[in-house]
Amino acid sequence: MISFVLKQTAIFILYVLVQVLVLNNILFFGYINPYLYVLFLITLPSNLSRSALLFIGFGMGLIIDVFSGTPGYNAFASVLIAYAAPLMQKTFGPREDHDVTIIPSFKSYRVGMFIQYALILVLIHHFVFFLIEYGSVTHIVSILTKTGLSAIFTMLMIIVIETFKFRR
Amino acid sequence: MRSLLRFFIHFRVFFLFLALEITSLVLVVQHNQFQRSVFLNSSNAIVGKTYETSNTIYEYFGLKSANQSLAEENTELKQRLYSLENELRFLKQDTSYQGRKQLAIDKSYTFITAKVINASTNKLKNFITLDKGRKDGIKPEMGVINEHGVIGIVSSVSDHFSVVLPILNPASRISAKVKDKSQTGSVVWEGIDDRIALLEEVPLYIPVHVGDTVVSSGYSSIFPEGIDIGKVKVLRKENDNYFYIEIELLANFSKLSYVDVIEFNNAEEEKKLEEKTRKEAEK
Repeated sequence: MISFVLKQTAIFILYVLVQVLVLNNILFFGYINPYLYVLFLITLPSNLSRSALLFIGFGMGLIIDVFSGTPGYNAFASVLIAYAAPLMQKTFGPREDHDVTIIPSFKSYRVGMFIQYALILVLIHHFVFFLIEYGSVTHIVSILTKTGLSAIFTMLMIIVIETFKFRR
Repeated sequence: MRSLLRFFIHFRVFFLFLALEITSLVLVVQHNQFQRSVFLNSSNAIVGKTYETSNTIYEYFGLKSANQSLAEENTELKQRLYSLENELRFLKQDTSYQGRKQLAIDKSYTFITAKVINASTNKLKNFITLDKGRKDGIKPEMGVINEHGVIGIVSSVSDHFSVVLPILNPASRISAKVKDKSQTGSVVWEGIDDRIALLEEVPLYIPVHVGDTVVSSGYSSIFPEGIDIGKVKVLRKENDNYFYIEIELLANFSKLSYVDVIEFNNAEEEKKLEEKTRKEAEK
């Protein structure tokens, strides 16, 4: 149990560093800014309490905000998906006993279901994030373009990472 | 009372969710209102240190281009040195030349060299973090330039780091003019492209051409007069009075390495005098 928490903490730090040091500097056509850390929040085990998940989402978002100079933007979006993830797990996850702990992945969900599950949460996260960044719906076309293009990029990275986990 | 309590316990996850979302929104709103709060600022110590460490790694990848731009700057400085030496020789000969008194004016600016340790170009509101702060003599409202031209204005400082509001931020407005023309306007940025900005408030009667250089006006005393900002790229009539001018920025914001922070030595004095005059005028 303790080794699991330690391992998750290390992965948490890794995701934060990859996000702020690498992905925040990526720029394609002025529109694409992927947020891979979403993957950490949506692949936590299902026996984690929903309150704990909310706090982890808030903490992760806030840390990334501090590094990106965007206070509250990531925190808001990641708390939202931390709230929505368990609801989506009920829809897309395997229908088994509630006592079984499930870690969302290609193996436990099957590839198609997992991609749909991740895509919905990534789209929600990116849309809310860019909506806050622009601060109004008058730029709706820019917001939707940024959401769409960045989500494609985030999803590609998620699929690559999950494939590696699956193979192992 | 008990049923109310039961209600809260039953929906505790939802209320926690609401509380966290409201906290986030408060942060967002505060950020928009008062620039950047000191707490959530990338100039705070831990964040600054992390970026500094990562920058020492990135630095090796950029050595070649950094070298090249340093060499280019060297050449340019050499050229300027020669032209100044020539001028000096000329002035020594002609002791009755009245214009030489004006030479002293530019000495009121000094430069502090700083390294860029973090910079964004792909956000709507971009910021740049420098590795020098209050202890190195940097104060808010100082101008920042590099060898290609104007970068931005210092917005907040901590002891060892400072954050710059670059041209690539909708909150930035830099007083500028077309080179050799007297009328001033403002350089603003509208988002998306990190190479293009707009020069606003230039009236139609000013003869502007595509390819003209846009420089700082020197009116605000943040920048000395005549520092390059960009080149006019697109030019058309916006309405009956003003031009719509798109300028191509000369500084490459995605590849910043070293910058100069400009200290205007008499800034305090000038500000005090202006303040005094304003107060007297209000009386």
